[in-house]
Amino acid sequence: VRWTRYNPYYLEPEPAKEVYRIPATELTDEQKAAQELKAVRPIKAAPPGLTSSVFSDPTVSKFVNMMMQDGNKVLAKSIITKTFESMKRKQVEKYHKAPATEKEVIECNPYTIFHQALENCKPIIGLISIQKGGKYYQVPTPLTDSRRRFLAMKWLITECRDNKHRRTHMYEKLSQELLAAFINEGNVIKRKHDLHKMAEANRAFAHYRWW
Amino acid sequence: MESPRAVFRTSEWDPANHGDQHVGQFYTIPPSQVKTVFPHGLPHRFQQQIKTFNEACVMVRKPALELIGYLKKADPAHPSVRYVLYGERGTGKSLSLCHALHHCSLQDWLILHIPDAHLWVKNCKELMPSSYHRARFDQPIESSVWLKNFRVTNERFLKQIKTSQKYVWSKREFTDEGRPLGEIVDQGVARVKNASDAVGVVLKELKAQARPGSYRLVVGVDGVNALWGQTTLRKEDRSLIDPSELTLVHNLRKMMKNDWCGGAVIATVTQTGSVFTPSSAYLPQELLGKEGFDALDPFLPVSVPAYSEKEFESCYQYYRDRRWIQHHRGHTEEGKKELLFLSSSNPAALERICAFL
Repeated sequence: VRWTRYNPYYLEPEPAKEVYRIPATELTDEQKAAQELKAVRPIKAAPPGLTSSVFSDPTVSKFVNMMMQDGNKVLAKSIITKTFESMKRKQVEKYHKAPATEKEVIECNPYTIFHQALENCKPIIGLISIQKGGKYYQVPTPLTDSRRRFLAMKWLITECRDNKHRRTHMYEKLSQELLAAFINEGNVIKRKHDLHKMAEANRAFAHYRWW
Repeated sequence: MESPRAVFRTSEWDPANHGDQHVGQFYTIPPSQVKTVFPHGLPHRFQQQIKTFNEACVMVRKPALELIGYLKKADPAHPSVRYVLYGERGTGKSLSLCHALHHCSLQDWLILHIPDAHLWVKNCKELMPSSYHRARFDQPIESSVWLKNFRVTNERFLKQIKTSQKYVWSKREFTDEGRPLGEIVDQGVARVKNASDAVGVVLKELKAQARPGSYRLVVGVDGVNALWGQTTLRKEDRSLIDPSELTLVHNLRKMMKNDWCGGAVIATVTQTGSVFTPSSAYLPQELLGKEGFDALDPFLPVSVPAYSEKEFESCYQYYRDRRWIQHHRGHTEEGKKELLFLSSSNPAALERICAFL
């Protein structure tokens, strides 16, 4: 089990297979030093989402963790796999029925669709609540990359959970929303644009931010 | 580029001409035949695959070729032989059965296909006491659905075969002797209450009239171990129903006996839909139990193994050709080795893994 706090002398586990396949003669000096360190220092426990599989994707793992409720990662992962499967089925069906001229345009890879949709949902500028003279103002501010990714994923999940018909499955709702976001349509893109408009409207308060 | 396609596809669409040189290759079933021969026969995931890829491609494998060879050499004058397909979960028993039935339909046999016998012994919404026999129970919905699909498959036989005795359905409805069998099927579909009895009549007539001179009959049952296992259905006093107390099961058991000539019975024993069986059981002896084994004995067992290396390679190339493996790492050698390891050459596991990659 992975602890939350480790002594700083614990080293991180290395899941990539290529590192272990290099023969002892071809190691660089840094790699030799790292190997010697591993012989003396203890190593942290591997987190459950870490795999040495070639198909693992850190963004998808982060999305699975965000969808997880009550620690049920099996259910969250199965929802994501069903989402990718349903997206791929819709796109591949369209691909096989389209004439030869339009085949190049249709994107069938669910991973590229997921990454592109997430990019399209990420806001560029965010709002922060700052207190000045007894009142709270919504001040526009730049966001870090991790905050933007978090907001995009959070909006996708909450939109699918709250604003859709209750009898559809989560993977269907997610696949519809991701395919819409891929072509810059849908409620999540609308929410991103609303945030940008609010930030544009409040640009007078920008100097309330002192960092 | 034609040469890579030649490795995993074959243009031979008639299963009668499939030989050992076609093992591991995919053959396409024309869409018109898919609708007539398999209205309810194909497994659910395979139907989704047909819809996605816009074509129905089945791999030619050794168990199916063995079955088709036996069917070609069987003598119609001898009693019907019973073949039992067995194998671990997801190795392709249902699709091998469908391959054999496709061959039979092209050779103009009468096909009696029960896609999943487990659906008849569990989750029945309407269970009525039978009008014909006081102790038995009817299942109107399942019977009428099966009759509709049976009519789609065997249209032309229904007009040729005539009934051999008069059947009375109720005070005002009866079917005379010498009427075409299609009327019995229509009666079962129209009057849902009598649907189970209509199924029984159809099975009895077909068995009685399957002589060496007339048509050849093939009975394909998926999950035959359901007929001799246990049900999850209960009577009104909360006691469990035995499978022999269901009209459909009772009539189907009579078909499974080898006291008729001029045809064959192909069955699959599967744990996948069965109730009260452990998931590690896959051999016929374990799944059929003593009663079922004695009823089917003697039978010809056909083992269905997982993919060989050549078949796995062929399946992988087919998925790549149909744009099913989309992950960029799936196209590398590393990815292929990982797919082989994760699925352990099991066809169903490979299909489920490639679905989300």
